[in-house]
Amino acid sequence: MKIQDIVAILDAEVLTGEGYLNQEIEEFAASDMLSDVLALTKDNFLLLTGLTSQQVVRTAEIAGGIGVVFVRGKTPEPEAIGLARSHHIPLLMTSFLTFEASRAIVEAINKKETK
Amino acid sequence: MTILHSKEKLTLASELIYEIKVKDAMHRDVISFSPDATFREIQLSLKKNRISGVPILDGNKNILGIVSIDNVMTALDEDYVNDKVKNYMTKEVITIPQNYSLVSAIKKFEHYKFGRLPVAKNARSNEIIGILTMGDILNYLLVSIQAIAEKAEKKEADNDNVSTEMARQTTKKRMRFEVNKADFDNAGRVASIVRNYLQKLKIEKQILRKIAIVCYEVEMNISIHSLGGSITVETEPSEVIITAVDYGPGIPDIDEAMKPGFTTASEQIRALGFGAGMGLPNIKKCADYLELESSMETGTILKATIRLGG
Repeated sequence: MKIQDIVAILDAEVLTGEGYLNQEIEEFAASDMLSDVLALTKDNFLLLTGLTSQQVVRTAEIAGGIGVVFVRGKTPEPEAIGLARSHHIPLLMTSFLTFEASRAIVEAINKKETK
Repeated sequence: MTILHSKEKLTLASELIYEIKVKDAMHRDVISFSPDATFREIQLSLKKNRISGVPILDGNKNILGIVSIDNVMTALDEDYVNDKVKNYMTKEVITIPQNYSLVSAIKKFEHYKFGRLPVAKNARSNEIIGILTMGDILNYLLVSIQAIAEKAEKKEADNDNVSTEMARQTTKKRMRFEVNKADFDNAGRVASIVRNYLQKLKIEKQILRKIAIVCYEVEMNISIHSLGGSITVETEPSEVIITAVDYGPGIPDIDEAMKPGFTTASEQIRALGFGAGMGLPNIKKCADYLELESSMETGTILKATIRLGG
């Protein structure tokens, strides 16, 4: 699944990084605990979070994340957007809650697999 | 004017409206008329400049009145459009001093329902030096928010230059960074520079990731828990050694600190998404070899070794 697909599934707004949506997502993570994100073992993950600080983007960059989705319509700090632009990390914003967003993604994956 | 209250998360905008002064956001090229101008002249000017009102000033730029599109329409209706405005214009004009904050301006807009406020030189003066509209305020806020993002981007570009410079100096295998206490805005800078640098040395992605995570965790630890310290990264042909030294106060019980979930972080840190008690366990997981020494007198020394390949 690509980040581009997530934009449609979550009815998400792309805050920055329109040019980098064609990347393949290898892992999904949903967390408000950045320490947990750092403990992930795979690269190329998409992070769903309710945090809005610039450290979210920093954590994704360090741990090898390829995109961040801000849930519940939360907008990140402007610094987070600047950081994401520097590292070519797309930032998405959805009005879905973390649970709803996760469920929608899982349903889309299952649907794809049964096809 | 409810635009600024319509969204739940606008704390930044609300901070900015207290900081920004009227003089920063207003436009200075004021289109004004003398009291001897006719409604017809003003009507043409409103149309040409796509504005909805003009101040009427005397020779010294002191305000005498204001003519809005409403006044012009009434003049057309009641057939005095070719008369001079001086007998008909609105004379009770509300102005705002240039050194007031945008909050006061927004309150005035809400209270009087005006489209524009003439800006006075100061609270005791009638001299007009600019005009402020809600559009001006919104524009300035957007530009200010954009500027914050650009500043962060610029800072990252500087970090990238640091790592490029390091990669260029092939003889220099040792990098040292200072980390300040509670400097969360810069937390991750060291990890980012090191990651960038090692990426340029073509180190394998999974190993790169481990090194970056160790750097980030020690960086967070120093800024959260200590009085400040430094991180040294040594790149050898077969391994990378990360040494973090801080100036105290030291870890009372290392065994307890190594337990996943054990934390002494404050609510503020937890709100940032850190302080889950995973830092040291995570460093241990990423490092091939870890030494940790702590004294309540001199502080903590952490040395993590990560092997390159094999």
